Amino acid sequence: MTHAPTQTTGSSAAQHGHVAERGGDGFVRKMGREFLLAIYGALRTVKMYPPDNPVVQKTMQEVVRLSNELLRNEREVEMRVSGEFIFINATRLRLDLENYASFSRIIAAFREAGVGLCRIRDGSTVRDWVVYLTLLQNAAVGDPDGRLYALGEKLAAAKVTVFELGPPTNLDEELREKAKEAAKRTYAQSVSVTKEVINSVRMGRSPNIKKIKRVVQGIVDQILNEETSLIGLTTLRDYDEYTFTHSVNVCIFSVALGRKLGLTRLQLYDLGTAALMHDIGKARVPLDILNKPSGLSEDEWRAISAHPWMGVLQLFQMRGQNDVPYRAMIVAFEHHKKTDLSGYPKHVRPRTMSIYSKVVAVADAFDAATSRRAYQSTPLSPADVLQEMRINPHRGMDQVLVKAFMSLVGHYPVGTLVVLDTFEMAIVHAANPSPDALVRPIVRLISDEQGNLLFPGTLVDLNEAHPSNGGYARTIIKVADPERYGIRISDYFV
Amino acid sequence: MTSPTIASPDNAADDLPEPPCSPQLVEEMLRHLARAIKTHQLYLPNNPIYARAIDSLRAAFAPIWPHTSEIALAVSESDFRWFGRVVMHEAGRSESLPWLFFKDGVRELTMSQGIEDEELVSLLKILQRVRNAAPEEDDLLTLLWEQEFTRLKYRFVDINLDSHASFEIASEPPKDRTIPIVEDIRAEEREKPAEERKSGIVKLEDLDATLYFLDENEIEYLRAAVVAEQTIDMPRNVLAILLDIFEVQENAVVRDEICGILESYMLNLLSGGAYGSVAYLLAETEALSRRPVNIAPLHKQRLLALPTSLSDPKVLSQLLEALDQSETIPPQEELDALFEQLRSGTLGTVLGWLKQAQNAELRTALERAAGRMASANSGDLIKLIGSADPSVAIEAMRRAGELKTAAAVAPLAKVLQQPNVELRQAAAQTLSEIGSAGALRLLETALNDDDRDVRVAAVRAIGIRGHRAALPRVEAVVKGKTVKGADLTEKMAYFEAYGALARDAGIPPLDRLLNRRSFWGRRATPELRACAARALGMIGSADALEVLRRAHNDRDPMVRSAINRAMRERT
Repeated sequence: MTHAPTQTTGSSAAQHGHVAERGGDGFVRKMGREFLLAIYGALRTVKMYPPDNPVVQKTMQEVVRLSNELLRNEREVEMRVSGEFIFINATRLRLDLENYASFSRIIAAFREAGVGLCRIRDGSTVRDWVVYLTLLQNAAVGDPDGRLYALGEKLAAAKVTVFELGPPTNLDEELREKAKEAAKRTYAQSVSVTKEVINSVRMGRSPNIKKIKRVVQGIVDQILNEETSLIGLTTLRDYDEYTFTHSVNVCIFSVALGRKLGLTRLQLYDLGTAALMHDIGKARVPLDILNKPSGLSEDEWRAISAHPWMGVLQLFQMRGQNDVPYRAMIVAFEHHKKTDLSGYPKHVRPRTMSIYSKVVAVADAFDAATSRRAYQSTPLSPADVLQEMRINPHRGMDQVLVKAFMSLVGHYPVGTLVVLDTFEMAIVHAANPSPDALVRPIVRLISDEQGNLLFPGTLVDLNEAHPSNGGYARTIIKVADPERYGIRISDYFV
Repeated sequence: MTSPTIASPDNAADDLPEPPCSPQLVEEMLRHLARAIKTHQLYLPNNPIYARAIDSLRAAFAPIWPHTSEIALAVSESDFRWFGRVVMHEAGRSESLPWLFFKDGVRELTMSQGIEDEELVSLLKILQRVRNAAPEEDDLLTLLWEQEFTRLKYRFVDINLDSHASFEIASEPPKDRTIPIVEDIRAEEREKPAEERKSGIVKLEDLDATLYFLDENEIEYLRAAVVAEQTIDMPRNVLAILLDIFEVQENAVVRDEICGILESYMLNLLSGGAYGSVAYLLAETEALSRRPVNIAPLHKQRLLALPTSLSDPKVLSQLLEALDQSETIPPQEELDALFEQLRSGTLGTVLGWLKQAQNAELRTALERAAGRMASANSGDLIKLIGSADPSVAIEAMRRAGELKTAAAVAPLAKVLQQPNVELRQAAAQTLSEIGSAGALRLLETALNDDDRDVRVAAVRAIGIRGHRAALPRVEAVVKGKTVKGADLTEKMAYFEAYGALARDAGIPPLDRLLNRRSFWGRRATPELRACAARALGMIGSADALEVLRRAHNDRDPMVRSAINRAMRERT
């Protein structure tokens, strides 16, 4: 029983296909980042210095300048916080190595003040921003439900009228649904194309390179806009279509991790293409060896362990006239070599492992270990796999990347079945946006305190406080085996 | 999915929304756009026609922006529509701008104010590239995505991907049932030893919370790794991989495949200008073929054929032509590395290009290559002295002279018999540089050459080298009548040589020429007397200088100048 991405026959996609939109928001992304970094700087200064301090004044002037520039170009400026994301005028800003601390602080400040939305009108002054940010900084007092109202009152009393504040909106849920549909489409197309490519190669036909490029572009766009849904679909881990879903999953994880490293869009595209094609060499390995349940002979092991270098040769056969997929070739060759290059295949000339190869190695190991395969009837739990990658040096993973990957997927990665201290069972839906709460992910409750199964279940944030005693409402006490309880994780993500 | 500005083409005219300005402005802009694409195809950016087309297109946007900040066009097979009105109609597909967008899936195109500033030319490049693209090349959507426009938005259907690919849920959703989780946990608690029974709640301090945060060093490590990644020499890295696979995998089929890849890949690298990578490939294949690696003769032959193929005169000439015409020449080190891999037989081609190459940097690299090849392969160099191509022969002679290749004397003798004066001059010069006994004997015969420059070169060399065997011939010329018919340069050359060869024995006749009068009271011509003074200067002994002193008040300025110069040089 599988969730297999399928193609339906019938009318042409050109007539009835989904229409998507791209482009036009590069300015907002760039200026938005600068604006938020300036706000972060300003928040820090009002915390440390009195308002009339020259440092405070200078940082505020910068904030005013940037907000005016945004207004001049965009005619309006709206900051919205949704989950772990910040939107400027509906454009999601990217969180990466350079800015994750600052963005997280702003998200936390908004959340603590009960603010989901802030519109900035024309004509803001330094004084307006000093007042606003000072109040925002100190808004986390009193009844959480009344904080936004209290903040609004204080701003009015201080005669600051350029900010229009609003609570977190249901728009989040709408956007989440849209993103989920888009993610499903992207995922299904990606698996479909990967299957087509690998089968073409196996049959000695030329695969369609254009399609590969397009699915990777789609994955990159999806990850940049809203990654949670797409990462959630990696839980599908289809047994029958393992080769294809595995390639797509590794691509998704690699691009998501690459985004965290601050790679540009084109660099993510390069990384994604390399990740999607990392196992293309397996198309040259006989299926009976690939799918053998156990006990590979020496020759059979040699055949399988040849797939990295065979991938290089295969990619050469697939290259276009002007395009040589260099990074894909390097990653295909290196992804099993380990960081000390003691893995396979052997090399003769000196080399240094590419960071892209290291990224794909982490993503590959994680997805492979958490999937059921011919020779691995019981997949390992995501949490156990992360632990193993972290503490076992023989795995040869880059430890900094493993750490970054863990902060991407959380201590309990998406798809982990957990038991809460309320005896409810839940599936991890997404890492908690707050960096302080990586052990308190967003989960979907799938059974109540009595053990009654729920579908589709509700999302809860384990970082939420208990209404009466101030502690946490729910806490994970253990990880559970879905097989034991007949739970199919993917049911809750599709 | 349509935007409010884009009305359905089926709307009646009355139902169409009112545009912010006259559609003719948008029509005009699109006409300029179509023209600019054609101009971009035909002319280089520095052509005035191209510049005018771009300026006109930019100007065509200007009257639109006061009325709206966006131009949103609906795209159909043959039309662009704006606010439901057709603003461009091109039915024929071959040159149609709407079709160019439509065929790759674009259904709506929105240009924002400012697109004409920095993004216009990028858009033109993409449109021109797509117009000429082969079916397997990148399409418009792929290229637009890569460019990441900030002032251009587009809606599209992806006709390459199956939009209907979806998930089938192959089974029913989970049925209502109860999971015995509470019982399981209680059972686990009972089985645990007492000291292990805890509240069961995960404590934060059990986990290293800082583990999940990257510290400054780790962030810096990743940042540096990402930066380093962008500096990797990709072609070289991949070549190393291919060669590693070749070396490690002894399977003949695999090695066949790799040889085929290397052969075609080398051509890709050359046409892409990756000369450093080609040089690396050739150096590595050469080294590999010499290492004690078990390689079948056929594969070794194919590897070694790589540098040989590049050294083929036709192939090399094409490469040099491409380099010469290229706007940007590769770095000198890359060219040097590439030319170092050329086989010895290419010396003729390289020498021939020295004269034709327009590019100074290329000429410099070729000079270095020629020098290296000449010194490593004197046999080839000597053969090229007899080349049918005069420019090659002259360059070969030049290098033989620089290297003082004694073995070149024999072919130079043949060159001295050639009707081509330039060749004979070069031969004389080369023989003088070689300066061996054989060379000097050959130069003696050159004293009778029809060409004055050949004679001058020969006699100068004889004088500089002190080839006394030639003294009688030189003396005969100096004392005879033939010297009177020669020009001053030739006269001077003979007299200087005479001075160098005759030494003190030459003083009396030179003294007579300089100082004595004939029976009729006449003296020799000022030219001859000046030459005699030069010759005495070449002798330079006390007696010679005494003769010069006696003449230093000569009335003729040419003679006086020659005397003064000779005395100056000697004192």
